[in-house]
Amino acid sequence: MRRAHARRTATTIREVSDIVVTTDERPEGRQRSAEEERLLAQRRRDTRNKWLWRIAGYVVVLLIWEYGFQAIMELIAGRSLNDALLPGPIRILQTIPDIWEDGEMLSNFGATLTRIGIGFGVSFIAGALIGLFTQNKWLDSFFRDLVVVSLTSPGLVWALTGLIIWGFKPLGWIFAIFMTTFALVSVNISEGVRALPKDLLDMAKAFGVSSIDRQRHIVIPHLAPYIFTAVRFGFSIAWKVTVLTEVFSSNKGIGFQMRVTSQVFQLDEFFTWVLSFFVFALFLEKVVLQRAEDRYFRWRQEVAT
Amino acid sequence: MTAAAMDSRPRVPFYRRPVAARILMPIAVIVVWYLVYWTLGSRIFEPPHRVFEFMWNELTLETRLRNGKGPSNLYQMFGLTVVRLFAGFAIAMVVGTVIGLAMGLSKSVNAFFHDWVMAVLAMPALVWALFLGLVFGPQGNQAPIYACILAGIPFVIINVREGVRNTPKELFDMARAFGVPQNKITRNVLLPSLMPFLFAAVRYAFSVGWKGLVIAEVFASDSGMGWAIKFWYDAHQTRGVIGYALFFVAFALALEKLLFEPLAEKAFKWRPRVGDVGVVEEQFLLDQTVEGALEVEQFTGGESDG
Repeated sequence: MRRAHARRTATTIREVSDIVVTTDERPEGRQRSAEEERLLAQRRRDTRNKWLWRIAGYVVVLLIWEYGFQAIMELIAGRSLNDALLPGPIRILQTIPDIWEDGEMLSNFGATLTRIGIGFGVSFIAGALIGLFTQNKWLDSFFRDLVVVSLTSPGLVWALTGLIIWGFKPLGWIFAIFMTTFALVSVNISEGVRALPKDLLDMAKAFGVSSIDRQRHIVIPHLAPYIFTAVRFGFSIAWKVTVLTEVFSSNKGIGFQMRVTSQVFQLDEFFTWVLSFFVFALFLEKVVLQRAEDRYFRWRQEVAT
Repeated sequence: MTAAAMDSRPRVPFYRRPVAARILMPIAVIVVWYLVYWTLGSRIFEPPHRVFEFMWNELTLETRLRNGKGPSNLYQMFGLTVVRLFAGFAIAMVVGTVIGLAMGLSKSVNAFFHDWVMAVLAMPALVWALFLGLVFGPQGNQAPIYACILAGIPFVIINVREGVRNTPKELFDMARAFGVPQNKITRNVLLPSLMPFLFAAVRYAFSVGWKGLVIAEVFASDSGMGWAIKFWYDAHQTRGVIGYALFFVAFALALEKLLFEPLAEKAFKWRPRVGDVGVVEEQFLLDQTVEGALEVEQFTGGESDG
């Protein structure tokens, strides 16, 4: 009790968040009440139930995919299909080592990632700048229609347009990635700038905090969640458009492999490429970016709880 | 000077008004287009006036695509694409609503489907297009329609699920306690609280389904708008590619401005603000985390402003 009190008077953020975490724990030596026991048991049952159903979902879907896929697709298509067109999960898993041994996996992943990195890097910087510009009313209405067009039109249109203007030059696919992703970035950044805490900035100014310190301690921490959101949204769109541009204008990368394998009816390899990159992109999106975000916001208690 | 500019407000020069900026944007695009055309010196890239001329010829049926016995002008192909869009959308709505309701009502069903719905949600439309093209072949409507369904259905499922989860339980209990008949409960309690979520589902299923459909028509069809853009691309005709690209953009904008914005206003007249609703907005929202909620807020806020 006294320890908790001492902690409550502690002033640093880290210790405040400690309390938030520790007050959830049961004080030592006290018995759980019957009500608590019941709730805990209920929660445990719920978790177990959830995992059971989740695993059941995986098992059922994978089994249908492996054994019933062909029958279902033939029923839908109304004609018999070559089983090379409908590889099951086991076949797809078996092709992974083949592709890996050819050494193609890494070079193709590398090519696609380079494209995403350059394309998304350019669109992020440009989109962030546009987001800053739109604080100005005039520039906001200048860019408004462009942003709406970018949000509503299909990426395919830009992939083909960029290709026909610049050919296989990098500008062609950078243009496509830019046109599909910059709007998301600029919308988020502009929201963040609009919501900047003006009173805090004024106070800091009044107390003579230097400009650099103001940026470092007020502006950047405030903008960070918006930037993270922009990166994650942008990335999830950017990698799809990048793959699409590779279908048309590349001789390497995942999109290129998808085109080649589907043209020669090697659907097992096709799905191997697709799924391996799909898992990889989800990993980047959900694990790497999410982790970075969580780490950055460790000090904020609403994220910690 | 127009009459509106002469009113009592403080005089602001026309070029400094936001309206001027909005008008300036397309002009700037055309200027940049000409500049790129002159500096590039490309043999296939064409300046705006030729593209506009092409578009005008398409609209007035001057030019025709040679597509054997299939549809051969803009309107026929456009009609075909719209029919496919509506067919795919309707199926996605019905099936998605059923799955979404089940997922919202039962935790077990939710756990069963959740990961697979998310996988379909995050899958690029290109994958569906290439795969379905091989399975169904380029003839007929099957491949594009299925691609449209697969692209749109995750949005319906997730939004309906969130809608069910957000229905106020107390209202149901109270209605039952007062002996209100079931059909009245459905109409007056469940539907109004589902409404914003269903609306979001319609909107996103439509716009994402449209994008998926176009890609499927490029790779897996021998007719429709997507096929037309591919036709002009294969013919190395810039005017065709950019002209049809502009038709796409115009259609997407028209759908947004003429259909969804008025609809949204009508559907939410009784609500203070659409932005308050935590609907699932885009395909990036993979889970309902704390940040997830934050993202929705930021994104809707941004869009309603932009």
